[in-house]
Formats: sequence, structure tokens, C-alpha cells
Amino acid sequence: MKQSEMVAQKDYWAKSACKMCIHTCAIRAHVVDGVVVKIEGDPDNPGNRGKLCPKGQAGINRLYDPHRVKTPLKRTNPEKGVGVDPKWVPISWEEALSTTAEKLKSVREDDPRKLLVSINDFHRIHIWGWGAAFGSPHYFSTVGQYCGAAYHPTNGILDGAFAAINDYDHCKYWIQIGAGDGFSAHLHLASSIKRMADARVNRGMKLVVVEPRMSAGAAKADEWIATRPGTDRAFVLGMIYTMLYELNVYDAWFIRKHTNGIHLIQKDGNLLRNPENNKAMVWDTATSQARDFDAEMDIQDMALEGSYQVNGVECRPAFQVIKDSLADHTPERMSEICSVSAATIRRIAKEYSDAASIGSDITLDGKEYPYRPAAVNYYRGAIGHVDGGLDALAMKLVNLIVGNIDVPGGHLGVGLNHQQLIIEEGQDGMMKPQPHLLHPPGAFTTKPDSFQMIEWYPIGIDPGHLCAANIMDPEHFGYDYQPEALIIEHSNPMWNLSQTPKVKEVFEKLKFIVAIDIVLNESSDWADIVLPDLSYLESDLLICIESPMVTGYFYRRPVIKPLYDGRDATDILSDLAERIGFLPNWNGLLNHTCFLAPEYHLEPDKVYGNLELTDRMAKSIYGPDQGLEWFQEHGHATRLLRPDELYMSAAQKGLRIPIYFNFIKEVGEDLDKKMKAAGREWDTSSYLPVPVWRDSHPLHNVDPEFDMYAFAFKEAQSNFSESTTMPWIEEVISCQPIHLGVMINGKTAKAKGIKTGDVLKIESPFGEVTGLARVTEEVHPECIAISNTISRWSRHPVGKRRITTHFNQLLPADVKWTDGMTGHLETSTRVKLTVVAE
Amino acid sequence: MRYGMVIDLKRCVGCQACTVACKSENGNGPGIMYTKVLDQVSGEYPNVRKQFVPVLCNHCKDAPCVRVCPTGATYKREDGLVLVDHNKCMGCRACYVACPYNNRIFLKRGKTKEGYYGKKLTPYEAVKYPEHQDGIVEKCKFCVDRIDAGLTETSCTQTCPADARIFGDIDDPESKVSRLIRSRGGRQPLCEDDTDPSVYYLD
Amino acid sequence: MGRSIPLVEKEFVSGFRQQKEWAGLIASAFFFGKVGSGLFIMSVFLPSKLGMLVGLMIVLCGKGGAHMLYLGRPMRFWRGMARPGSAWVSRGIWAMTFMMISGFALFAVPQDSALYLPLAIFAVISAFVVAVYDGFLLTSSPAIPIWNTALMPVMCMFYSFLGGTTMVMFMAHFSIIQLSAEFTTLLPNLEIGLLVANLLIVLLFLVGSINTGSAGRASFDLLVKGPYAVPFFSLAIGVGLVFTLLMSVFGGAHAGVGTVALITVADLVGHFFIFFLLLKIGVFKPVLGFLKI
Repeated sequence: MKQSEMVAQKDYWAKSACKMCIHTCAIRAHVVDGVVVKIEGDPDNPGNRGKLCPKGQAGINRLYDPHRVKTPLKRTNPEKGVGVDPKWVPISWEEALSTTAEKLKSVREDDPRKLLVSINDFHRIHIWGWGAAFGSPHYFSTVGQYCGAAYHPTNGILDGAFAAINDYDHCKYWIQIGAGDGFSAHLHLASSIKRMADARVNRGMKLVVVEPRMSAGAAKADEWIATRPGTDRAFVLGMIYTMLYELNVYDAWFIRKHTNGIHLIQKDGNLLRNPENNKAMVWDTATSQARDFDAEMDIQDMALEGSYQVNGVECRPAFQVIKDSLADHTPERMSEICSVSAATIRRIAKEYSDAASIGSDITLDGKEYPYRPAAVNYYRGAIGHVDGGLDALAMKLVNLIVGNIDVPGGHLGVGLNHQQLIIEEGQDGMMKPQPHLLHPPGAFTTKPDSFQMIEWYPIGIDPGHLCAANIMDPEHFGYDYQPEALIIEHSNPMWNLSQTPKVKEVFEKLKFIVAIDIVLNESSDWADIVLPDLSYLESDLLICIESPMVTGYFYRRPVIKPLYDGRDATDILSDLAERIGFLPNWNGLLNHTCFLAPEYHLEPDKVYGNLELTDRMAKSIYGPDQGLEWFQEHGHATRLLRPDELYMSAAQKGLRIPIYFNFIKEVGEDLDKKMKAAGREWDTSSYLPVPVWRDSHPLHNVDPEFDMYAFAFKEAQSNFSESTTMPWIEEVISCQPIHLGVMINGKTAKAKGIKTGDVLKIESPFGEVTGLARVTEEVHPECIAISNTISRWSRHPVGKRRITTHFNQLLPADVKWTDGMTGHLETSTRVKLTVVAE
Repeated sequence: MRYGMVIDLKRCVGCQACTVACKSENGNGPGIMYTKVLDQVSGEYPNVRKQFVPVLCNHCKDAPCVRVCPTGATYKREDGLVLVDHNKCMGCRACYVACPYNNRIFLKRGKTKEGYYGKKLTPYEAVKYPEHQDGIVEKCKFCVDRIDAGLTETSCTQTCPADARIFGDIDDPESKVSRLIRSRGGRQPLCEDDTDPSVYYLD
Repeated sequence: MGRSIPLVEKEFVSGFRQQKEWAGLIASAFFFGKVGSGLFIMSVFLPSKLGMLVGLMIVLCGKGGAHMLYLGRPMRFWRGMARPGSAWVSRGIWAMTFMMISGFALFAVPQDSALYLPLAIFAVISAFVVAVYDGFLLTSSPAIPIWNTALMPVMCMFYSFLGGTTMVMFMAHFSIIQLSAEFTTLLPNLEIGLLVANLLIVLLFLVGSINTGSAGRASFDLLVKGPYAVPFFSLAIGVGLVFTLLMSVFGGAHAGVGTVALITVADLVGHFFIFFLLLKIGVFKPVLGFLKI
């Protein structure tokens, strides 16, 4: 139905898409006399099948929040600071846009790099590059970074995926490490909870949850195994040791057929190449000689183990190298690190190996697939650390060994958008590694250009947490300019970056801040101009983010007429691009980020509205008959993924995936070479082809005076963003013990003389916060766990606590505490506790 | 015909979607929750057991609230729903102390005039709050308006992402709820009080 | 099951929950109902028109007023009469109505009229129901185990008699009403007897409530160990029963109006607090009793 016809009705249900987290559930909104009175999951959608999480339900709170930005605002109080009233006055769009454009234009004419950019709207990835089109390389925030600088690139390197999930429909033994999938967070929550519950209850799937805090998932698991933060890799490597050295379990067929485990590796860790044609080589046991990887060979004859001499060069198959690299990773040694007993590590390894049913097959839709119904799923808790890249590789390896990657029952890649997995041919019969699905890599420069130093993290995602330190100490890495302005869109760098005091110093330095948002937050409280966006229930968008079960675009449509004088953020940014004078760059970028087919490309000098853009995007993807009108008439274009889309994506194209990550090693060596040439000291030691445990991890080498680990967590009520300022959510979480203070283990609390309700001073080597103690049995005795819901201090009246415990202030934010391989910031820290009041 | 609900404790993940969906459906103001999910934690680390236990009005067959209500405001319908006639309740709260499940809520005077942001109600609140009266007792209605409109799901069962809440006719032996109660050994809460609740828990 | 089950407030935690609705005003209504009807019954026997009147007024204004203040919708109080067949609240309202009608009618009917005696009997019975129905009201609520005892109405009855006796004694000593000689000697002994009886009943109640299951035990703990132990032992028991008993035995009604005033105040304080605290300690059972905690 046409938009105008729909909203003219008195009583209707409008289908749309949710935006209360970064993913997309299909919703329908009940509108009576122009007022949204209920939001439900869309029962017709194959993804969430009518289900909706508490945040999705609470979308009404966001829509009708009286503190929404209703008109463009101008600050009249020149003084800025935490809790300072900006004394907003409403201004016209013309004044707001012309003031903003004028300021930013002069910045751009001077040096476009003087603009900091914090555009983080995960639903509108197509606008993230606005800063780049402007000419600024900066990424002054941490959104994709925080969720997985170490996660997304490693998924892309493994199988062209952006995210990953175990196979809800076929998995029988699911190990979940530091992840909320199926319970409280991550990919399409409402869809996942149902599928996980079906697997557990209907199919009797066994679930083992590994994490330092008993999350909802751990509560429902058959077994909860508590580890120290940042040591999950040790647990997994102990499992792998048990499998390779004690149980002798691995899927030799899979490794030979679908991975590079057969490639011969020299002593230095690099591939042995045929000097004649530069091809990677394989040892043929039938003829006892090294042959090109693509030579005709019986698969059984490809050596996985052993040591060989080829033309006088000693080499081993990659699988043997992996095995040898882990020879000292005994469960006993790993147990010391992760605090899980060696016996438990061995038992889980055995159960997992048995459940994997190596060698079995399954027929789906008439096609036979390998069937490996055991898999390890993981997310940020497991990999959000220094050496997080190695953490992620270890999790991949434990899956690879049982041959479960992208097969029924196993560990499946999930695409960033409708393109699903990006499978392109690379070198040596391998799939091309895809670490950069969000934007192209930053080219190396001898001196970093961006404050987040993306030039020096060739396979990472922008480490935005490094910005503040580099801005405040520009000499260290040689920055010869200083930022003057900041543009914020649906982001909150003041709150989401670590080392908050330093971030505050950056805010104090800036001469001009413009923010585009719905509701003001800790960051936009500092803005000079605020431009009101439309809420998700008032705007149009085609969206498909990290969908594990369905493919195709959800159509987010306005369910009512906009309540206030807002404009779609895309339109605001296009308008600003024109006024500032870089419209051709911007339109060129949109051609790319909106997947526009050549016939729908934008003219460089014309401003296109969001509706026109959406229409062109739809037609580009679905053909000329399926433009915006089609979506208005038919709603979502989503359908369940077919088995042939879900499984064996690389194999279907005859490409291998890595089990030995020589790509990472090569990137590291290349970087090392460039750094040395530039005379820079830079640690590239984490660019390893095989994940091993490294005792150098700074988290475990902190002054023992900081005797506890500390980490933050979220649950379903606070999954991703936009949570605590919604009254229904706030009301619920303020009744839940886990969100009422700093969780500390009963025995530890007793030893330290801490009781529930005590006010604690929590000091890390990097910062200090206060918090209310909450004694519980649901956390590892060496840890405190801090809910993200007790961290807000913006001027918004909802969601504030008597005592704010903003975990990020305890975190470091420098290169030492950043994963060298991926740029992931360390998300756990060490603390000491003092009772300051009872 | 007897409407009832089955709550599968194995499936519930404590996400509170039901709690919020219920508030949204009924336009319940601050502090008013017809249903919620309780944590039940036992044991000592590392042998900890945590259950999520959704609670709501049990629409008992022999409901103490109906028995003790002096005005007849609380009544039982033919289809098993225990409801409160808002126009009859005088707010004595005898039902509140009689309900073994502590699932009745008294709306203090002025309660329906004040929203989450004070006296100025949001457009949503302005539509929904007048459906309530203050000075009386309320509780879960098994979404009677939805049921009477022919829908088969209450708001909470409709949204429950885990399908942990299932609504249906427990008198019909072939209904999903009855089959679940039979096959999984559904139990009624506080059955020793002889109230014969229409809510069954599976554990 | 057992001691590890928490006592929960608004938190979403399975455990014991205290009832929060019936507190001060309901306790006041119970208090005025019992003192007023006790005084009324005693006064009918004395007989003392003034005592009867004061008794009626205490019930009407004290109890009635407290109820009206308490009701969420006071103007609908009349609807409360709709279910005398099952609801003790309805029965209480009817009893109060009968007590008022018949009680005030006694003033209009000459004492030697043939109507007087049946009317007086009816009024006394109504007043008696007013005095004890709260006990049945509490007992009939299955939700709160510590209330679920047959001692409740008995306790109500004895407290009502005690309150009535004390009030009569007070009014007599302050020459508000005149007592016959036999009553003058009987009253102090009746007072002592009732105090001893009440003390015994409270003791019996405490002993009995230890075995009212885990929720009853939680209530019991609140009363004797928890936040209510101090007012319970000092005000309800100490002031209300022990102090009054000692004063009555050793000082006695003969020790002068000051002592009697003191006994009266102490008795009323104790009377109010015992029911106030019994309401406050009302604890519901955890909903899923069968789950192992």
C-alpha cells in the first residue's frame, strides 16, 4: 500500500523493520488514530516468525520519548562539560544546515583531516563513508571495532563471512564461548532464541557455555565452565591438544579436501613454492614427492603429517606445523592459564570430538553434505582482547579440525548483507581472504594519517579507541595537525570509547561539534548544533544486516507520519555534502555503498533524496520491477536461506579455506618490512599463522596488587545499543539483580569483607570508578562483572543510577593494549577493590 | 473450555520480552507488571543453578481472589478467565492478600494520571492510560480483549522468543497445552493450596 | 527449601514476598473495630448507654473512617456488601451495619420494652462478629501461612474483650460512666484474667507459627528476629501485655486514675501494634514451591 494511503487509515497494522539493536527483526506496528499502540514481531516473516525481544517491544518508548530532538537545536551556553546545560534553542533547518556547512567548509578548505567523524548507524552502513568523502580518514568511535575487530576480519579470512554462528537446525553439541547467541545478544536475537530453544529442548542438543559469568546462556546450558577473562584461547588450545595428541581425532578428509592443511610449509613458516611456477606444493605419499597443489592426486595421498625434504629444503604439511606448534599446549599447562581443570578440558574435547561424527553425511534438499553436528561458537567475550586475532583463530581451528566449517551441524559463516559470503578466487586454489567487508583497507603510510592508525592495522577494523591518545599526544607518532570539529551520527564516543577522561579532553578541544540523532546522549550533550533524524518508525530503509537464517532485504517503512521536524540522516548528510562542496565524492560513494547498478548511478552534482536512493538501490538489486513501490506493496523481500546457500559456499566454487593462516603471517611480515623501512618500531609478533598461547599477554601480567579481573556484560534487555533510556527497559533491569551493581563472587566477597550494597572504589591501572557491590554465585571468583546498564550519565532523565559505574573508564586505550593483528582493544582489565561506604 | 497457559522452564531464557510486551499491550504505567520473569538461583559457585521463572495470574479454577472479593468485581468467566470488573472494585485489596501467587496489583490514587515522564503523558500513554482506573486492583487478564477479538495468542505468548509460554484450552485434550502438560508432566504452582491454577509449569 | 530462600522486595527474584498493602489503616480499622465492639458489648451488659454510644462511635468513626480512608474507591464501599456468601469483608460490612442499626436503635427503644432484649442480643451478636471477623478474614486467606490459623479469630475475640474491659475501666475511673459495685470489683480481675489469656494466646500463636511451613517461618523470623522484633517485644508484648499485667497486678485499679490511664494507653498501644505487626509480617509462599532452591 502506498505510504499516503496507509497512514490515512484510522486503524491499521503497518509492517516495518526493527532498529532497537543493530540487527533487523521484521515487525508490525498497530496504529490507532495516528498513535502507535503496539509493536509486535511480524508473524509472516521467516526470520523472527512473529517473535520480538524486550527492546523491540520498547520501540514505542523511543518513538514517543519526550526528550527526542524535535527541531534543529543551537547551543547558547558556550560552556561545555558533563552535566552542563547546553541551553538549547530551536532554530530553523536553514540556519542549522548553513551554520554547520559554513563551519565544516572552512575546516575542509583548511585541512579535511581536522574533522573527526563518528558516524556509527549500523543500519545505515551506506553513510559511514561520509567522512571519507569529506576527506577525513578518522573514525572517532568504536562501534564495529568493539564488537569485533578481531572477529569480523577473521571470519572474512576464513570463509568470506562477516559473522558466524553454529547451525541451529542440526548442531547437537554446541560449545559457546563468550557469546550470547540464542539467549541474550548477537545475531538477530528474537530469531535466535527460538531456534536455540528448539535445538535444546526439541532436539536435545547439548550446550556447554564457557565464560566467567553465568549469563542467560550459561544458566540454560547443560554445563557452565567458568574461565578467567582473556584466556578462552587457552581452554580451546587445550582441547585441540587433547584431540590431536591424545584422542587422535581430526577430519583428515575435510582438511585434505577443503583446506590448506596439505600445503607444504618451510621452516620459516612460509609456503614452499614451486620455483618454476610459484605454486604452493603438496606432498604426494603415493609417489613420495612434492607436487603442485593442483596436480592430479588421490586425496588419500596428500600428506597431512610428516617432515620432508624437497630440493634440500625441509618442510612439513601445514597440518603437521599446526600440530607441532601446539605440542606444548597440554591441558595441564592450559589449565593453569584459564583456571579450568585439565580433566574438564579433556572431557569436553572428548565429548566434542565424539559428537562431531566425523565421516558422516546428511542429505538436504536432495544433496549430500558432510554432517558435523558439533561446533564452537564464540563472540566478543572470547576475542575482545589483546591477541584477540589469535583467540579468534583458535576458535576457528577447533572447528576446522573436526571439519565442521560451513557444513550442516557445524560452524557457519554469516554475511554482512544480502551478498552473503564473499567467495572469490585467491592464490593457490584458496578462497581470497576478505578481512575488509566494511570498507577498503587503509593503505600503509610511514606516518599514520588517521588518529585511529588504521594504516598500521592492515587487517584490522578501525581502532577508534586510539584516537584520543593520539590527539592529545600528537608528537608520539608524528601527527602534524589537530582536530577542530566533530560530526556525530547515531553514536556516542564519549560513552563508548575507553579512557573517558582523555576523550573528554578531546571534546574540550574541539571548536565545533554537530550531532545528528533522535535523542541526546553523553556526546551530543556537547554539540553546538543538533540535527534531528527521523526515528526508525518514521523513515524508509532497505536493510539486511548479519542475518544468519534469512536472506534478502527487510523494508523498514514509516509506520506513521514523522512526529516532529526531523529529516532522514541520509538526506541531512547529502544536503551537507552539497553545501560543503563534495557532493560528487558523496554520490560516488553512495553508488558503491548502496550497490547501485550502473544504470542507476547517481549524477555527481545532483542531491538525491533518501526515497529516490532507496528506489534505485531496490531496482539495482532486484531489477527494474522491484523498486520502492514494490516494497511498499509487498513488504520485506526476505526468505529463508536454502541449504545450498548456507553450506559449503567455498567448496561449491572449488576453493579451499585456510586452516593454516599464512595470509596473516604474510600481512604481518609485509607490515614489519614497511615499518622497518620507515624506521618505526612496531610489534608484529601476533601475526601468526597458527594460534598459540602467548604468556606475554599484558592482561595477565599486571601488578598483582590489581588482584581481580573486571569485565562488562550485556543481556537481552541491553543487547547492543539504545537500551537504558527507555523506561520499560529501565524498569525491568532495575529489578534484575545482575543489573543492580557490580557482581562479585560470594567467597571472594567474604574474604574481602564485602557485602551487597557496599560502595566500592574500583581501581584499575588506567582509571577509577565507584560501584555498588552485589554478592552473587554467578561469577568467577577472580572477577567482577559490570552490567553496561549502570553506566549512563547523559542529561536524559531515564536510566541513571544513584551510583554510575561506567566500565569503560577502567580500560586502557593505547597501542600496547591493542591487538596487533586486528586492532581490537582489550575489553577486560584488572582491578583492586576498596570498600568506601557500607 | 478453559483457557490456560503452559510455561516451559527449559525454554525460558529470562529475556523479559513477555514483561515488556505485556506492559505495551495493556498500557501499564510505572511499576505495574502483570507478568514478569523471576530469577531462581541456588547452589554455590561453581555448582550454580539458575532458573528463569515467569509468573502471572494463574486464573485458578477455585480462585481465592474470587471467593474473598466482597463486591463481585473479581469474577470467573465460563472460559476460565478470572477478571476484574474495574467499575465494581472498591479497592479493599482482600484479593491481594488472598492470592497465593502475589500477582495482584493495586493502583494507587493518581497512578493512571502519571506516566514515565510525569504528568504530561506521551501520545501512547494518553491513549492507553485511560483504559485503567486508579484506586482499584488489576492483574493479568489473559489478554481478554485479544481473545474476545478472536486471536489465539496473548501478547506474552505471541512475543515469547523462546516459545516458552504457550496459551490454549487446557480442557481440550488435543490442544498443544494439554499435550505438553501430559507429555512433560506439567505442574501447577502451589498446588497444595487447592486453587487449581490454569497455569502449568514444565521443568 | 529452607533458610536460603531470600525475602524479596521489588527484585525479580523467586523468594518470599511480604504483603505490602494491608498495613497502618487496616490495622487501625481492626483496632477500632475490636476496641469499639468490645466496649459496646461490655456496656450493654453493664449497662451503660454512654459506653454503648462511645463503643458505637469508635466502630463507626474509627473503624469506618479507617476503612474509608483505606479504600481505593471509597464511594463504592456499598458494593462491598455484595458477597456475604463467600467474602468475610462483606460479612464484616453487614455485621457493622447491623451493629450500627441495632446499636443505635437501643437508644430509641425503652429498656423495658419487649423489643429491647432481642434487639440487644442482636446488637451484641453483630458487635461480636465485628470484633472477630477480621480473624476469619485473615484465616481464610490461603496465601499467607502465618495468618492461616484458627487462633486468629480467638485472638481477635480476646483482644476485643480486653480492649472493651480496659476502656470500661478507664471510663469508670474517670467517672465518665458509673459502675455497680460488683462490676467495680469484677473488672480489675477480669482485666488481669484477659491479659493472662491474651499472653497465652500470643504465645500459642508464636509456637504454632513455627510450623506453618517455610513462608510462615519467614514471617515468624521477621517478627521475633527481624526488623519487627523490637516493636513486637517492646510494644506489643512488653507494653501491651506484660507491663499492663504487672501494673494491674501490683498497682491495680486501686492505684489511682493515673495508673489506670497508663494501663489503658499501654493496652491500646499493645493492641494496635500486635495486629499491625501481624499484618506487616504477612509473607507469601514462593510461587514455585516444588522447585528445589
